[in-house]
Amino acid sequence: MTRPVDVRIGDVRRLLAAAESVFQGRAGWAGAIAASTGLSPQGVELGFASLERHATDDELRALVASAGDAPHVHVILSANVFVAPLRALAVARAAAPHVSVRPSGRDPILTRALVEAAGDRAIDLVDERDVAAVLPAGNCEVHVYGSDATIADVAARLAHRPEVTVRGHGAGLGLAVVTRAAPVETAAELVASDVVLFDQRGCLSPRIVAVEGDASRARAFAASLHDRLAAWAHHVPRGALLPEEEADARRWRDAMAFAGEVLQASDHTIAVAPAGMPWWLPPAGRHVQVVAQEQLTELAVPMAAIAPFVVAIGTDDAVRLGEIVRAWRVRGVEALAAATRRTWTAIRLSGLGRMQHPALDGPVDLRNVERTRAVPV
Amino acid sequence: MTDVAGARVESDALHERALAMVGAFEQTAPMPESFDALAVDLVRFQARAIPGYARLCAARGVNAATITRAAQAPAVPADAFKLARVFAFDDARALVTFRTSGTTVGARGTHRMRHLRSYDAAALAFGRAMLAPDLPNGAPVLVLGPSVEAAPDSSLAHMCGLFARSLDGAGRGGGAFVKDGFIDVDRLRDRVGALGPDAPALILATSFALVHLLDALGPAVEGALALPAGSRVMQTGGFKGRSREVSSDELRRDVARLFAVAPRFVVGEYGMTELSSQFWEATLVDPAARHAVYAEPPWARVVPVDPVSLEPVAHGEVGIARIEDLANVDSAFAVQTHDRVRRVNGGFELLGRAAGAPPRGCSIALDEMLSSARVTP
Repeated sequence: MTRPVDVRIGDVRRLLAAAESVFQGRAGWAGAIAASTGLSPQGVELGFASLERHATDDELRALVASAGDAPHVHVILSANVFVAPLRALAVARAAAPHVSVRPSGRDPILTRALVEAAGDRAIDLVDERDVAAVLPAGNCEVHVYGSDATIADVAARLAHRPEVTVRGHGAGLGLAVVTRAAPVETAAELVASDVVLFDQRGCLSPRIVAVEGDASRARAFAASLHDRLAAWAHHVPRGALLPEEEADARRWRDAMAFAGEVLQASDHTIAVAPAGMPWWLPPAGRHVQVVAQEQLTELAVPMAAIAPFVVAIGTDDAVRLGEIVRAWRVRGVEALAAATRRTWTAIRLSGLGRMQHPALDGPVDLRNVERTRAVPV
Repeated sequence: MTDVAGARVESDALHERALAMVGAFEQTAPMPESFDALAVDLVRFQARAIPGYARLCAARGVNAATITRAAQAPAVPADAFKLARVFAFDDARALVTFRTSGTTVGARGTHRMRHLRSYDAAALAFGRAMLAPDLPNGAPVLVLGPSVEAAPDSSLAHMCGLFARSLDGAGRGGGAFVKDGFIDVDRLRDRVGALGPDAPALILATSFALVHLLDALGPAVEGALALPAGSRVMQTGGFKGRSREVSSDELRRDVARLFAVAPRFVVGEYGMTELSSQFWEATLVDPAARHAVYAEPPWARVVPVDPVSLEPVAHGEVGIARIEDLANVDSAFAVQTHDRVRRVNGGFELLGRAAGAPPRGCSIALDEMLSSARVTP
């Protein structure tokens, strides 16, 4: 490591100070962010509260440790929640003495605001879309935040630069697990707060909730979540959905109405799936599938198909869930695909209601982040 | 819910009415009843016999007992075939189970049938009319796809096998030429070489089999497998990540050159596992017809609908395909797909699959998850 840890932490703290400044002046950007993200004004205000402005030394040491070391990092922000650029910049700045960043074409506002507020000469904003044209000669890294297709495209464009490491942070989803110990009303309130934030457009947002117990307990939780989301909608309404999002929602809602039970309101839809039904991922935009899970130890079976995409699990009993997960790993649960087992070590585990508030200790997405020319293109 | 025996009697009667329509078509006789008359009775039966359909009707606020037109029937989302039972009889009475092609994520769509009388009659009547109205009995049929034995749950393999048995009773075509995912080029070449000059043949092929065949034969495809005059080729299916993708026009041109047939004799078929009827390009039988426009039999029709409201769009506008199929007696009269279509003279134009919503965050979409799973080794 060529730069001392304390220097790196200092660089990140400068970004946190910039975040505080942007937060204080958020009224100036809120309207534009609402327009670009589709969030309601209240949703933007709620999202701003998740903009990291503080971190402990331990968290920042972890961030620095996870960031690696490179002479230059180029950050490509393609699809993310609107406050995510802070963490992306922090990871890059912790890793490198020079950073260039290409903001999201659709949602560049916060990135520009943070870079300008930071006043850090080591961070350059670039608009050039050809990644090969912006990289300096020699070793460097590219951090790509976007879809798997975008990551693969960037890797392909850099196939002629074997000295460049591409770290991809792809799309994903969150899963909430409510154990028997949790009162359903309390759990529903906490899950609702995780769902409402960013209208579920983040990879930490829960879209499936596994409720330990029988079908009646799952239905009771769903009914409670239905109430809590309706209450949230009064003060943080859902933003407008794009026509394509409306179409995806319609498709999912009708399929779930056929297969199970649907609780619908103007700003959200909850589906209760019958036992044994494959998990069928709801679209973002406050859509939640609730499933009954009699034995949490068997949770690996239904979630095997989506496990490679799970970035975060929120639960009321992280200790117990951690034990279950560790037992799966020791037993090498056959039902889990190889890809699933790989990802278990990299899922963020948090409390319900805290799923979208991970410590600033590294990238949000801890799955396999290193992409090289081996990425299928 | 009707009782099991009563449902079977009712189902049998509905099958007979569907078969009567198919028979009338074959005899160029007037239809014995209107499309709406049979559709309404089908919908009422399915709402009584299939709990999922009853739930969907309830969720849409539709009382199946009081509808008077086919258009009033809620369409079953194609996804529902992956999630729930969409059939009106006991599992034990299923004669065949057709399944959609699989991915590593999620379930395969399942279409069970109590018997195949309506399916076979409908497929053969319209297939013969559009593909082989002038072919003599005993015309050689060569299948560039898996055999029924190799793929017993493939509706396409069943249909191709049906055509081969019905049109080529003596087995002069040699049956299926795809085994274990590979096309047997040498055997195909031998069989084509053995065809007499006055025996026009019928090739039934999937698009990816044709692509593999062209790849295997290399650049010198012109007449490499020249068929006798009057031969024709059925081309069906997409690529689904199983081979390189080529445009429909390019593939048709290359296939015509390969088999030395006129491009109009390369006829597209559009079908789905979830249906009992198919749709065909009419280029072989109608000089005014053009490729990518599919004709419908009198017992099935395609209605472009708005992806959000699911209401029919104006003639000539693009919508997603709601497919109404009177031969789908025991499953779903109306199936809602995600394929983009447009009504044109002579039928409907197939425009590809509807794109999902563009990402407005890092939450993964179902379609992205599915396509990601397809390319994962």
